[in-house]
Amino acid sequence: MKDKLYRKEMWITVIFSVLLLLTGHSASIFVLFPSLQTGTMWGFPTQYIVPILLGWFGIAGVCLVMTLVCNKFDDEMEAFAEENKKEKIIAKE
Amino acid sequence: MPSEYALSNVWIGIGVVIVLFIIFYAVGYMASRKTTSDEDFYAAGFSIGPVTNGLGMAATWASLATFLGVIALILKLQVPFVYLWIQWAISIPLLTLLYGTSLRRMKAFTPATFIKARYGNPSTIVIVCWMILIMIMYALGQMIGLGRAFELLFGVPYNTALVVAGLATVGFITIGGMYGASYNAAFQMIVMTIAMIVPMGAIMKAMGSSGWWFPPLAYGDMVPDMLQAIPTFFDMKYDFRWYFALIPAFTLGPVALPHLAMRVFTSSSVKSARWAVVWFSMFLGLLFSGTYVVGFAGNYFTASTGRVIASPDQTLLILNVFYNPTLVAAFVMGGAVAAGLSTIGGNLMAIAGLVGSDLMGVLAPDMDTKKKMKWGYAALLIGGLTAIILAFKPPKFLVTSILWAFGLLATTATPAILLGVWWKEANKLALIVSSTFCGVLFIIISPHVLPSICVGKGLVAALGMSGGMVTIPLSFAMFIILSIVFNRVSALSAYAPTLEDKMVIDRIHGWGDQYEEVRYSAITVPIIVAIVCMAIFFWGLQPW
Repeated sequence: MKDKLYRKEMWITVIFSVLLLLTGHSASIFVLFPSLQTGTMWGFPTQYIVPILLGWFGIAGVCLVMTLVCNKFDDEMEAFAEENKKEKIIAKE
Repeated sequence: MPSEYALSNVWIGIGVVIVLFIIFYAVGYMASRKTTSDEDFYAAGFSIGPVTNGLGMAATWASLATFLGVIALILKLQVPFVYLWIQWAISIPLLTLLYGTSLRRMKAFTPATFIKARYGNPSTIVIVCWMILIMIMYALGQMIGLGRAFELLFGVPYNTALVVAGLATVGFITIGGMYGASYNAAFQMIVMTIAMIVPMGAIMKAMGSSGWWFPPLAYGDMVPDMLQAIPTFFDMKYDFRWYFALIPAFTLGPVALPHLAMRVFTSSSVKSARWAVVWFSMFLGLLFSGTYVVGFAGNYFTASTGRVIASPDQTLLILNVFYNPTLVAAFVMGGAVAAGLSTIGGNLMAIAGLVGSDLMGVLAPDMDTKKKMKWGYAALLIGGLTAIILAFKPPKFLVTSILWAFGLLATTATPAILLGVWWKEANKLALIVSSTFCGVLFIIISPHVLPSICVGKGLVAALGMSGGMVTIPLSFAMFIILSIVFNRVSALSAYAPTLEDKMVIDRIHGWGDQYEEVRYSAITVPIIVAIVCMAIFFWGLQPW
């Protein structure tokens, strides 16, 4: 259980760090792939509006999922810590 | 200071600012009645709910630059500066994910509280000194902007404006402590957002845009005219390395900003801190998108009317004076003032926490909390007065760029916090050596101190982007490699992490009393990180 929780914590941290970096730095993708700079969206060039949208709603979306996932993970950790504490008390008795 | 901006009726401007300050003082006074302990003073009693905290986080992050500086830079550099600004919205989510909630769990007042628990006293002094320097630079920049805003608004000399604005500001922040700073910041964010967005609707309508009903995203119909007037406006202009260099300097730097971290620590719980971040990203996204439309409209204004904006940092105000009634223009000025105040509030609270709690905790560990709190009040007041005094005749080095200071923070403090939270092998001596060496190196290779020894040139060097590409990865790599080496040298065993230090890590990650040596102790991943960092370091050394 504890190994599973530890691995889960690592993966959550890595995945959400990468997602946050991607949403905040999406302009870099348009520099790496200049062919993406040709389209338009809502009248704006895509290389302008997509980073703005990702920098607002993209980040908010990632933060929302991150909050749900991390808060659920906290519940699992708390349950594990509580169980561990009880086991220690029983062992002492 | 010659001004292109002038309210037709100065008294309206004075009235708006006086009303705002009455509200700030009233909030500060009410907050002071709730402040009875150090937890109240430094962390608002760990009681701020997610919406208020989300607003407060956004206000603390969005400084006077959001109203003045960034618009000027968009006018000058166009779209690349928009990209630079966008990525700042991930700073608080990233710091919350990487260490904010862990430190909230240990009820830290500042990031240095953790440094003390994890690395001990000498390391704390090093990190606290770097953080205080950066907070003073930050507050100084805001204080100068505030003085100039009052100068513009009231038409009084800069020095008089500075003293009046500075003392009035320091006064209500000192009275209110973190409770006052939090509630005032939430209110200031609402004022800032309305002042930025709503008047822009009227300006866009006057400019002929059909998207006036939602200024942040609905100005696409102005793009063809813009491209006709400025064909290069949407060009990305720089190579991939320029965009990559934003990560070390401008993403990793703010992650360690104490006044941002302290907003996370004021949350009523770890879960509430995460919800606050969701609100923060929505509120800040709205405000920042307003900033981009002002930058766009400023460029459009100059191109379509043929007028030249000689002081680009006044673009928002010039547009409002040109298109909107005096009362609206005065309210926009009030929004700019609120932006400066919310950030100064955060800066001064950070200085108070760093001195009153962290530094006094090292120098006088037996001092009782009431006395430490008094030191916090004194530090807050002295920090504010220092910023005012420095702002009279600011040393060029200190005000060259707040942005440059982010690179310094990423070099000196970010590795200490991130590796400290995630790696049990992080060594106390390795921290002191890498932080001090790389911090001094960052200053030396910047163009601000020794222009003859400089990595990069022009804007990338002045903003610390090229320097940061060298010293930030070097700092991470040095810290990792030296930690591995020092932990294995018996003569340096005093600096190796103790069992107690390691247990701190397990505890703040939520394991409770369940300690396990192998957790957060791997060597392979840190070595891979160090190798990647060295590759980035050499990339940064290539000619810019």
